[in-house]
Amino acid sequence: MQEGVVQIQERARAKKLETYPDLKTVDTTPVRVTLHDCLACSGCITSAETVMLEQQSVDEFMKQVSSEDKAVIVSISPQSRASLACYYGITPLQALKKLTTFFKSLGVKAVFDTSCSRDMSLIESCEEFIKMYKAQGKTNCFPLLASSCPGWVCYAEKTLDPYILPHISSVKSPQQTMGAIIKRFASFNMGLRVDQIHHVTVMPCYDKKLEASRDDFLFSIEEGNEEAGAGKFTEVDCVLTSGEMLELLQAKCSDFTLLDESPIDRMLTNVDETGHLYGSRGGSGGYAECIFRHAARELFNKELPSHLEFRTLRNSDFKELTLEVEGEVVLRFACCYGFRNIQNLVRKVKSGKCQYQFVEIMACPSGCLNGGGQIKPKKGQSGKDLIQSLETAYLNEVDVSDPFENPIIKGLYDFWLGYPGSEKSIQIMHTGYHTRERSVTAQLSNW
Amino acid sequence: MGVGAGEEEVQVSVVQELEGHSDRVWSVAWRPGSGISGRPAMLASCSGDKTVRLWQHGPSPSCFSPSWSCVAVLEEMHKRTVRSCEWSPDGRLLATASFDGTTAIWEDVGGDFECVASLEGHENEVKSVSWNASGTLLATCGRDKSVWIWELQPGNEFECASVLHGHSQDVKMVLWHPSEDILVSASYDNCIKVWIEDSDTEDWTCVQTIDESWGHTSTVWAVSFDSLGRRLVSCSNDLTLKVWDSSSKSFTDGNLWRHLCTISGYHERTIFSVDWSKTTGLIASAAGDDCIRIFSEDSDDKMTPDSGPATYKLLVRKEKAHSTDVNCVRWHLQEASLLASAGDDNTVKVWRVDYRNS
Repeated sequence: MQEGVVQIQERARAKKLETYPDLKTVDTTPVRVTLHDCLACSGCITSAETVMLEQQSVDEFMKQVSSEDKAVIVSISPQSRASLACYYGITPLQALKKLTTFFKSLGVKAVFDTSCSRDMSLIESCEEFIKMYKAQGKTNCFPLLASSCPGWVCYAEKTLDPYILPHISSVKSPQQTMGAIIKRFASFNMGLRVDQIHHVTVMPCYDKKLEASRDDFLFSIEEGNEEAGAGKFTEVDCVLTSGEMLELLQAKCSDFTLLDESPIDRMLTNVDETGHLYGSRGGSGGYAECIFRHAARELFNKELPSHLEFRTLRNSDFKELTLEVEGEVVLRFACCYGFRNIQNLVRKVKSGKCQYQFVEIMACPSGCLNGGGQIKPKKGQSGKDLIQSLETAYLNEVDVSDPFENPIIKGLYDFWLGYPGSEKSIQIMHTGYHTRERSVTAQLSNW
Repeated sequence: MGVGAGEEEVQVSVVQELEGHSDRVWSVAWRPGSGISGRPAMLASCSGDKTVRLWQHGPSPSCFSPSWSCVAVLEEMHKRTVRSCEWSPDGRLLATASFDGTTAIWEDVGGDFECVASLEGHENEVKSVSWNASGTLLATCGRDKSVWIWELQPGNEFECASVLHGHSQDVKMVLWHPSEDILVSASYDNCIKVWIEDSDTEDWTCVQTIDESWGHTSTVWAVSFDSLGRRLVSCSNDLTLKVWDSSSKSFTDGNLWRHLCTISGYHERTIFSVDWSKTTGLIASAAGDDCIRIFSEDSDDKMTPDSGPATYKLLVRKEKAHSTDVNCVRWHLQEASLLASAGDDNTVKVWRVDYRNS
């Protein structure tokens, strides 16, 4: 016991291991990304990320627009379109037309719509699912987990065990798909070199900035186009959030609602000959519903009704969709939004108890319409009220359509990629995920 | 000292010193339903040695006899310090929170304790765990600044019901109200936060923050409710205890808890733990000066229940309760005179507190 006593005396007045009085000063230095910081969509606090954000700001956008050497192309997400439409009390179509007027007046070359590229993401996802389903037994990779939410992907890479990464869909998000289409194909049709293009997206989410800057999305020029220059190019150069878009509008035009409604750039926008917008249902992209519908058709020869009934589980952010054939559940899909629901899903996947074949995962509660980059509720408006009006606005005068029937996407496959899931599609429209080192402080184990 | 000081007598004597842990002991918890109706009293303790020890009294009928012994060591589960342990209200399950980032759930299976669940999700050190009154919800908190609420499902399955961000620093302790689903958290950010479930959003939300402007000016280490949950006591690195009152029971002004009084001038070092006796209403504190102190409401100054601000007076200071920091102090749930403490000296101590209020 004597030894023990000595040891105790030594430690007696030492600083308590649990207390770290200097943490408050330490914590003010931007070194640590916590789970919350990652998911709150506005928490880019490492110095590298701060630099990255400066490159993706309204100021940088204005600089590029006024640059002689650059052709700026803007792709607007349907969620941002809905956010601005709600804010100004106009329809999504009016919002898109007025945004086109606004951007063109600044010198932007073209304004597109990411519901168009999303249709390609959806088709590739359908294809990926069918392949995985047919390979069942050989490898069990279910559930397939959606990859379009960068908050979720970032969390999975930084915090979750590596076992979860193979479950994440390799299909690029609509933002990156649009970038790939514009810079690797459409630019040639537009008579632009890839190094001339500055591609800007307008997104409901701050984490889309992180996504745009991933090394996985750098590409080199293919053979035959060397004149465009050597080196690596980004698919998306600058991401502005809906909120930043509003700031820009407020700074640059006195009344947005009075702007003219310009013709829409139809090349990469879901607008039909009669001028109607079209796109898939679902404020977070409609991945679960679209793949479910496709799988029912391809695997079980079932045409599903236009309205699918999701069953709400423990809360409205956790819903499931099942298909029964002869009394047996053959397809079980889910939408799982918000961090607490993700936790439960991940725990189920880890313990092998997850029954789903596909899960549409989004980090934000209520999904992308409630993204951290959306315009904040007006005075007196509750968050819940705002989401409801966004959900209504989202499909207001927008025709629900089948991605496989999208003539633009059909054309891209015919003239460029071949077919869904082709070698070229996999090479250009898919990506990969990696375990990321935790920050230094998070690894310290002696606290 | 109050007028009636001489009329009250308190004696604190050690019943037994429980040795076994090989590192500092962080926390102790009395097992509900033990020590009454002929069932031997049981105490759980957790330590920097990565284990939980269960101590049981027997076979002597008086729990004040020095016949406590270690009946089980729960080990090989946690990879680092076990910081907090709490029994479910029915005494069936024991939850243990560890610096390894996990919270383990242990079930009594015929006297053997088996780990039946491990709750992962916190990014790093879990600092505290608490069961709600019905035993259906579990709260945890930790260095990642978050508070998690878990829902117990059939088959010892736990589902995450909420992940709450609001504190700007390490969260030291979570504690459920003794009867209602109201959660209180205390943090290194000097704040106490009150959380309830918002039926509108189907999620938990912070309804009150007691910050430095009217609360503690340094780390809040622990909180404890009185038997009915009308009052709350908090202890802090600012060397004070503060008592909060919620008898108005209204959220309308956004302040469920009002400041009732501050007990200052008694502690010279950090107060790590505070516990409000559910039987006698006495408040015990544990501090970095190796002392345990016991306070009572100064009823002599109170003409009627509503007149004037309440005051609390020091009844006794037990010097050298442990040979170094006292990390935790807990009253037995039914046996009014029984108190347990845990210290940096690797020991758990069981105390007899004789209190005569003539």
